[in-house]
Order: sequence, then structure tokens, then C-alpha cells
Amino acid sequence: MSIQRWLGGAVSAMALGVLGACGGGGGDAASSASLPTQQTMSAQAQLGERIFSDPSLSASGRQACASCHVETSGHAPDNDLSVQLGGPLLDQQGKRSAPSINYLSFDTAFFFAPDGTPTGGFFWDGRAASLQDQAAQPLLAANEMANPSKADVVDKLSHAAYAEQFKQVFGADIFSRPDDAFDRLTLALQAYQREDTGFRGFTSKYDEFLRGNVTLSDQEMRGLALFNNPAKGNCQACHPSAKAADGSFPLFTDFSYDNLGVPRNTALMQNNDAGFYDLGLCERTDLPNRPDLCGAFKVPSLRNVAIRHVYFHNGRFKTLKDVVTFYVQRDTNPEKWYPLNPDGSVKKFDDLPVQYHANVNTAEVPYNRQPGDTPALTDAEVDDVIAFLQTLTDGFRR
Amino acid sequence: MHAARPSPRKTLLALSLAFIASAASAQTATETELARKLDQLAAELAAVKAQLAQIQKERAAQPAAAPAVAAAPAAPAATSSAAPSQPATVLTSYGEINYNRPTRASENAQADVRRFVLGYQHRFDAKTKVVTELEVEHAVSSADDPGEVEVEQAYVEHQFTPTWAARAGLFLIPAGLLNENHEPTSFYGVERNFVETAIIPSTWREGGVQIVGAFDNGLTVQGGITTSFDLTKWDATSTEGRESPLGSIHQEMALAKARDLAVFGAVNWRGVPGLLLGGSLFTGNATHGQATTQSRVTLWDLHARWTPGRWDLSSVYSRGTISNTAALNATLVGNPTLIPKSFDGWYVQGAYKAWSHEDYALSPFVRWEQFNTARSFDDLGPGLTPEAARTERVVTVGANFQVTPQIVVKADYQRFRENKDLNRVNLGLGWSF
Repeated sequence: MSIQRWLGGAVSAMALGVLGACGGGGGDAASSASLPTQQTMSAQAQLGERIFSDPSLSASGRQACASCHVETSGHAPDNDLSVQLGGPLLDQQGKRSAPSINYLSFDTAFFFAPDGTPTGGFFWDGRAASLQDQAAQPLLAANEMANPSKADVVDKLSHAAYAEQFKQVFGADIFSRPDDAFDRLTLALQAYQREDTGFRGFTSKYDEFLRGNVTLSDQEMRGLALFNNPAKGNCQACHPSAKAADGSFPLFTDFSYDNLGVPRNTALMQNNDAGFYDLGLCERTDLPNRPDLCGAFKVPSLRNVAIRHVYFHNGRFKTLKDVVTFYVQRDTNPEKWYPLNPDGSVKKFDDLPVQYHANVNTAEVPYNRQPGDTPALTDAEVDDVIAFLQTLTDGFRR
Repeated sequence: MHAARPSPRKTLLALSLAFIASAASAQTATETELARKLDQLAAELAAVKAQLAQIQKERAAQPAAAPAVAAAPAAPAATSSAAPSQPATVLTSYGEINYNRPTRASENAQADVRRFVLGYQHRFDAKTKVVTELEVEHAVSSADDPGEVEVEQAYVEHQFTPTWAARAGLFLIPAGLLNENHEPTSFYGVERNFVETAIIPSTWREGGVQIVGAFDNGLTVQGGITTSFDLTKWDATSTEGRESPLGSIHQEMALAKARDLAVFGAVNWRGVPGLLLGGSLFTGNATHGQATTQSRVTLWDLHARWTPGRWDLSSVYSRGTISNTAALNATLVGNPTLIPKSFDGWYVQGAYKAWSHEDYALSPFVRWEQFNTARSFDDLGPGLTPEAARTERVVTVGANFQVTPQIVVKADYQRFRENKDLNRVNLGLGWSF
């Protein structure tokens, strides 16, 4: 056979083989972001799980991490208090609402992106650099678990039912080194939050939709379209909704910060003092001289948002309907959200001192309107968006 | 869905090809023009005879046969056969320095070292060579600067017989007129035309293997298996996919996903001196098992170029389609840039060497092109299906001034029908060797 015919034959055979392979492969399911459903956690994480639910590690003896971070509410509170109560007698109001701690294993320490955008960090103001760092603070905060010192926490730990297990993992003499023991305690909590798939299930209806296993209802699809549309909801600008090119599923937060001018919450006793303002990001001692960051708080993930009970850093809103309507009517109907001044004008952005009002986001859709403008979403469209947000709740069963 | 009806662009293309064919048989030239052409032909024939004598002398000296392949050259290597022996390693380079000034938005005027390319060809033996090209775009490349550095070509070519050669590595896809011959000295106008940047994503290269067959009758066939596009890269939130659908999802063999491969073929006929007719087809799945559905990207083109006397007339039509876009777009509804089902474009261009003296030559040209990067979308349901894009039409009028055959100075004016703010004056300098 001449070489031309041989080459031609070889090429056709290869081409058919490739085409056959490509065509006959069948549509594989999308690579799932979830981890094995049945998994064994490391010894550290198992300890962390016990520590997480142990109320004896508090001054009151009745408050564990799990008291405010309830799994059935997306690891957020299961009551609708704007802020949770803590302290030795569980009567001290917290400063900010207890956030959901789901999907935080994807968060990083705080940093400024190349374009200057503040990103990452744990807590509403990003002051903790890791889950381990964050876990330490509620244990020692006077209005939370209210332990007077690290040694105190370790003392309580040494009397816990799992103290032997703790010594087995971290060393028999660990309790004789209280600072180290406290560090191991917070390390175990971090390991638990990272390893337990309950903190990042990716089992919502929307995740199944991304995997191609289920279709969304017409209303949910409309809601998704409004969520994504940069001229309507524009929600995905801070709460990304698309799968990444590497196959990772969306977290519905870009871990950045935004200043929305959320109305002041009179339910917080700290706000009884008219001169008190929670300034968020700029209050951090490691970020001196950044008045442009005053009023900015972390963008939370919207996963499981529908099963949470309070919204925003000050727990000002209790329903998604209020939240989404606030987004689109903050500027078109400010009188609905803010108190009135004695002269009848609206006291807009009343939870920020006047000199920081310019920090509030008024440039991006949907908060780029003027009083009297049409809101970016109609009432029915708000309901559509909420229907979509309800697809972000983990534990979907077909 | 649009019904099939004779669209204006296809009619115009057919008319152009008909004109070329009929004009070939109805030459009207004065006697002096004929004499000048005869002189030119005689000179060229003498040069070819000298080259042939040289090659035969070399062939007599070396028993191995080393015929040049008539396939489209990947880079214009300086293989001057007047030299007694070829250097084994040849440096190649081309550069484009451009200035754009929008006439309605002069605040967007821009000057840019658009491309700086260095490459080499190294010949291992009479039959085997490696061809590489490294490109720097926009002068400075770093995390804070707009430039990019990329390997544009890196392949080995081996000549099995005088007719057949094979290439393996990263090579240019033989599509359109511009992709394989994209040096600034080989096209008219400062900027590459939109059909061959927005539809055919020049400079388009894939990695794989290719067979090239160059026949004595002027026919060149190419075919191969290569890496494909990556639809999971589609960013529905940016405008990249609207500017060039395939440009936004090409992989450039940079950690390319390679579960799905593509096949391509190209046929080019140069049987009549001065006339090139050809076409290409590229098709491959592009989701690599990472999306909810399989989806195929297909791009084909037809092209023609005719250079009678001082004229240089060319035309390209290209169309791309993507399958199963409804399933891919379902999770992206509402975003500004969804994946289109089809996109296409065509152009006709005429250039005329109005003046020449020794190496200098001035060639004014006109180019008329129409393209649509989102000709149609799959239906997603009421209120969710994006509208098809409007077809853009660009008319470019300008001139190339050849300083030497390898250096060109260009100027042109471009007028956009849809996006009038893009109307601009362009100036450019290019070299290639």
C-alpha cells in the first residue's frame, strides 16, 4: 500500500476513534463539589465536634458554640433575636448578629486585593485570620461565653467527658500547659468545621440544578434570571452564582465587604446611646486611618439564607421579603426604612455618622436610584428572587 | 429560529466569486501593460531558473531529498535559496506597533506595541525542523500590566515524502486567510479584520498532530487531531464572549483540558497562479465531562484570494455553531453574555498597488465586513432567552505602504454601523522577517 493511502487510512481511523470516543462517552454528571457523604473525621475534628456542642465551656454553663450556631438553621441562630444573649447569666446582648458559619472553610485571612478591595477574614469585620483564630474570641468575650481567661476554659475542658480523648490526641501533659491546650482546643474546632460536610454540604436544590439532576420551577428560574441580571437585581455582583471554570460550585459570596447603609436597629441596647455607632471594618485596630471603610461589613454567603432568621450585621431585618425589598427600595422609598427627622425629612443612613454617609454604596445596581424612581425589582419580582433564594437551602430531597 | 432564505451576505459572496471567475477570462489591458507584465514574468522566470539550478546542485551534493513543502508557511522564515547553504537555526520575528484614535471618543485614543514576536526555526536535517514563536502583547507583561506573553507555535515538522509531511506540537489551525499568515506584512489595514478575530479567533493555535499534503496540481490538504475549546471557561458576567465567542473559550494549550479532542481539515487550491480557493472545518466537543451536557463546537470557513496584476482581492466567510447551549445556559440565565448557538461573518476586500518604485509600494484598499457574534440563541423559555445580537458592519478604507517587502506602514479609517463610538483612525508600523 502506498504511503499516502496508509497515512490517509491511519488518519481516518484515528479520527473515527476520537469521534467515537467523544460521541459515545455519554453526558457525565458534572463534577460534584461535595465530598464523600460518609466520611470519618480526623481525631482532632472529632474532638472539635464534642467541644462545639459542649455548654460547660461557658461561664453560664449553658452556652456552647452550637447554642448560637444551630445546624438546622444553617449554623446560625434558630431564634429571631437580632443579637444573641450571652454572659454569665445569658442576659448580655451581643454587639452584632451571630452569622452562619457554613462554607467558611473557603474563606481566607483578610487581605486587600490588587485593586484595593478588602477581602477575606472571619467575623463581620474580618478581624480573625482563620477559623481557629475566630473560635477563640466567643469563648473569651464577656457578652458571649464569658470565660475570664484561657486558663479558665482549659480548666473546664479538663473536666469534660472527653478530657481523656483530648489528652490522647494532644499529649498526656497537655492540661499542664494551658496556653497550648487552649490553642489545641481552637485547632480542634477549626478541624471540625473544615472536615464535617455539614458545614459545606452543597446539597441544595440549586446544587442539584447545577449538576443537571433537577430543573428549577418557572418562578425559581425567573428569580435566578433577576438575581443574575446586572440591570435588575445584580445580586451576583457580590453573591456569585455561577460554577467556576475549575468546576467549583458557587459560594454566593465573594468574601468582600460592602456598606449598605442598613438602618439602625433600636432593639440593640448599645444603640440607646445616640453617639454609638458600629463602624465595622474601620474599627479594626490593625486598619488604622481608613475612614473610607467605615460602615463596611462582610458579604455573607447566601447559601441557606432562607432558613436564617435575622439578616445583616445588626439583625435589623427578620424576613427575606424585607431584605430584598430594602435593597431595591432603599433609595426610591427611604421613608419606609429610616426614621424621620423633626423637620419631616428622612434620616437616611441613620446608623452611620454623617461624615461616613459618602461611604455607602450608591453606585451599583440596585441601589443607584433616586427617591421617586422605579425600584429595580417589582414586588412580584422580589417574590421571584426569594423563591430562587429558597433553592439555596442544603438538604434538598427530590 | 430563522427560516432558510437567500441571505444578502451569501448572495454577495456568490457574486464576488462569479465576478472573479468571469474576469479571469475577460482581461482588458493595453499593449504597454502587457509588455510590462511580460518583462516581469521573464524576470521572475529567470530567478526561478536560478533557484532551481541551485537546488539541483545541492541535491546532487546531498543524497537526501529535501523538497520545500508548498503548504501555507507558519512564519515567513528567511530561507533565501540564493545562499550556498542554509543556516540550521533561523531567527524569525514580527512586530506591530499601532495607534488607534476613535473619532467620536478621542479620549480613548491608544498607542500600543500590539505584538512583538520572536521565533526560531531549527532544521535538524533535510526533512525535519522545529518551528517556534513567542509573543509579547502590549509591551509589558506582569501582574499589574496589561501585557501577555505566550507561546504561539511550537511544533516539529517532518517531511515523509515530497508530498506528505506531519506536524506535531502546538501549531496554527489552517482556517481563513489570516490565521496561518498573520504577520503585519501579509494583511491590509492596521488591525486584523473582525471576521478573522471575532469569528475565527486568530491567532488560533491548538496542540496535536497534523498531516500536510502538498500536491503538484496546487492542492494542499491538511488534517489533524488537536485540543479543543473549553466551554466551562465561558464567563457569562463579562463581555468577552460577546466580543469573540471562540476567543473567550480557546485554551492555547495552557494546562488545556483535553478529555475532548477536535478534528480539523483544510483544503487549499492554488492551481491557477494568483488564485487561492480554500476552506476548512474544525469540530470538537468542548465540555470535557465537566458540564451537565456534552456540547460540540464547530467552525468552518470558505476563503478566496485572487491577485491579478496589481489587484489583491480576497473574501472569507466563516460560521461557528455550538450545540446543546440551552442546557449550558440554563444555569446562567439573566447574565449579560450567554453562550450563542451560532455566530458568523464575512468580508470582501480589494486592494490595488497604485504606485511602486523599486521596493516601495503603495496599496490602497477597501474592506467591507459583516459579522455577528451571537447570531442566534437556543430557546430558554419566555423572558429568559437572550435576543440575538445585531450584525455589525465595518467598512475599512486605507492603504498599506511597503517600505521594503518586510516592512510596512499602514493607515486606515474604520466605520462601524452599530457601535459608532468605535469609528476610528488607525496608524500602524509592522515588520516581519
